[in-house]
Order: sequence, then structure tokens, then C-alpha cells
Amino acid sequence: MTLHQPNKSLALLNSKAPYANNAGKDALDIALVFGSFEQATALFFQGDGVYQLMQGQDGDIISVKDYLKTFSAFEFYDIEDVYVCQQSLIERGLASDFHIEQVQVLNQHDFASKLTTHSTILRF
Amino acid sequence: MNKLAVVITTPPYSNLIITALNYIEAALHSDIELIGVFFYQDGVLNANSKVQLASDEFQTIKRWQALHEQYHLPLHLCITAAEKRGMSDENDADNLIHPAFTISGLGELVELSTSADRLVQF
Amino acid sequence: MTTLHIVRQSAFTTSDFAQCLQTVKDSDCIVFTDDGCYNLTHPCIKQLSVQVELKAIIEHVNARAINLTNTKATTITMNELVALTFQTDRVITWQ
Repeated sequence: MTLHQPNKSLALLNSKAPYANNAGKDALDIALVFGSFEQATALFFQGDGVYQLMQGQDGDIISVKDYLKTFSAFEFYDIEDVYVCQQSLIERGLASDFHIEQVQVLNQHDFASKLTTHSTILRF
Repeated sequence: MNKLAVVITTPPYSNLIITALNYIEAALHSDIELIGVFFYQDGVLNANSKVQLASDEFQTIKRWQALHEQYHLPLHLCITAAEKRGMSDENDADNLIHPAFTISGLGELVELSTSADRLVQF
Repeated sequence: MTTLHIVRQSAFTTSDFAQCLQTVKDSDCIVFTDDGCYNLTHPCIKQLSVQVELKAIIEHVNARAINLTNTKATTITMNELVALTFQTDRVITWQ
């Protein structure tokens, strides 16, 4: 069985803040499995999802297992495409101060264009 | 033939699941091949055979089982998400997972997404 | 290359539809299902600056007694939603 299909790619669209529920972790688990199967996978952060990327957070303080630390392992899974919606950052008064390096800030138009280059989109 | 796969993240006690079931049934009656359904997050609760719904309510659980029996529709259960919600296949005595569902993991989602022309989330 | 947007939540309750509106592009199709049908009368639908098709599941509209007279939406059946899944290039479910 060959799983590699060059015309197929997955986008995970994250819309929830990290600590109140498991949505971000559930999306991350999908990203890592798709990455380990060598599937083209990209992560997008929009709305409250942008909070998952912000520098200086610590879930341990509120007894939440800090899955955000796993983001630094993206390179080992060949996940290089991480995009954040600039509009969502502006609405929340956030600077581009992220806890991983390869984040690309895209304006509304470019964020939409990049997202819709993917054949499959799951939103969490 | 166009191939479709569906990801279910909606629990059986939400009325939104009726829409998912209606969509799937419409797909089964069309000229599309529905290659499988993957249950993730709270969606895994749809496999819990001990869920009790009042007899005059929409019978979500029975509907999944009927679709599996009638159309041999593959129902894939993310076991990690199921175990988190008290459903395990390890001990036969308290196995809550209905036999219509196949124990699987996110690797199955990879296969569904590569085989299907469209993957739709409900 | 067009996208099918399935909108399932009311914008009076969640920001899902607002985020959909940030993402939608010319020639896309938005289908309102469930409480998403209430968005047809939400003020934010007037922000739509691109040419998109607006559709709503007929049973979901009728069950909620939503009047489509002053909207640009047309009603479709679940069979038509299945067909739209393959007439477009990808699907995003906003729920």
C-alpha cells in the first residue's frame, strides 16, 4: 500500500484557545500521525486558536498537561507550514511573539488563499 | 466513482448528529462510494452500546448500527479517544463498544484521507 | 478551485461564522445547516463582499420558521449537499 499522493495535503485549522478543552491537543495528535506517515500537513491558527502559539504560556500552573511544548518537535515530523491569521492577532492585541520559530503571519486574504490550497481541511 | 470519507466529532446526545446521519444516508443512496466513517473526540460516544435514549427520541445509536448492517459501512473508532471516555476493548466483561465499530487509531484516518476524494467533518 | 463551507452554528452564539467570512472567496458556496440557518438574518452576513452562493438545508430552515424572503439564500436537500461536496474542490465544516 502506498500512502503517498502528491496532490493531497491536510490542513488543520485551529480555532480554540489551548487550556479549556482538548481541541488543540486532538488536532496536534492528527498532525503528528499524518507527519509520521509522510503526509503533507500544515497547521493554521485563527480566532482564539492563535493563543496556542503565544510565547510564555505554562499549563502546568493550572494542572493542564502542556501539549504546546510538543510544537517544537514539528521539524522531526516534517511539519514546516505553520500559519497564523494576522487579523485574529490584531483583534486580540497580540504581537507576533511565538513559542516556535517557523510561524508565518498572513493577512486575511493570504491566510484564506493558503488554507484553500489544501485538499482536506479539518477544524478543531 | 467519487469516494467520500466522513469524520464524526459530534456526540450522540447532540441533535447535530442527526444532520450527520442524514448526510451519510443521502451519500449511501447516491452514486458516491462512502469508504468509511472515522469517530474522533466526543464522536466516539456514538459507539457506546450502553447509551440509553428515550424511546420517543431519535435513535442515534441504533441508526449507526443499522447503517453498518445494511450497507456494511466501515465505522472506525479512535480507541485512544474512546478509552479517555471510559470505553475500552481490553476487558470483555465491561466492553461498551458495539461490535459494529472497528477498533482503530489515527493511522486509519490517514488511510481514509488518502483514499477518499473528499473528507467531510460533522 | 472552490470551497464548500458548511456552517452549523449561530453567529449570535459563536464566532465560527465570522471566521468563515474571513476565509470565504469568490465562487465559493456556503451551506447553512442546523443553527447555522439563523445566520441568514444575522447582520454580519451583510459583510460578505465576495460573490458566493448561499444555500440552506430546507428542513433545517422550515423547522426553525426562518423566513428567507429578504435573503439571497436558496434551499437545498441533503442529497444536493452530498452532490455539492463533489462539485466543489474541498470542504470546511465550521462547527
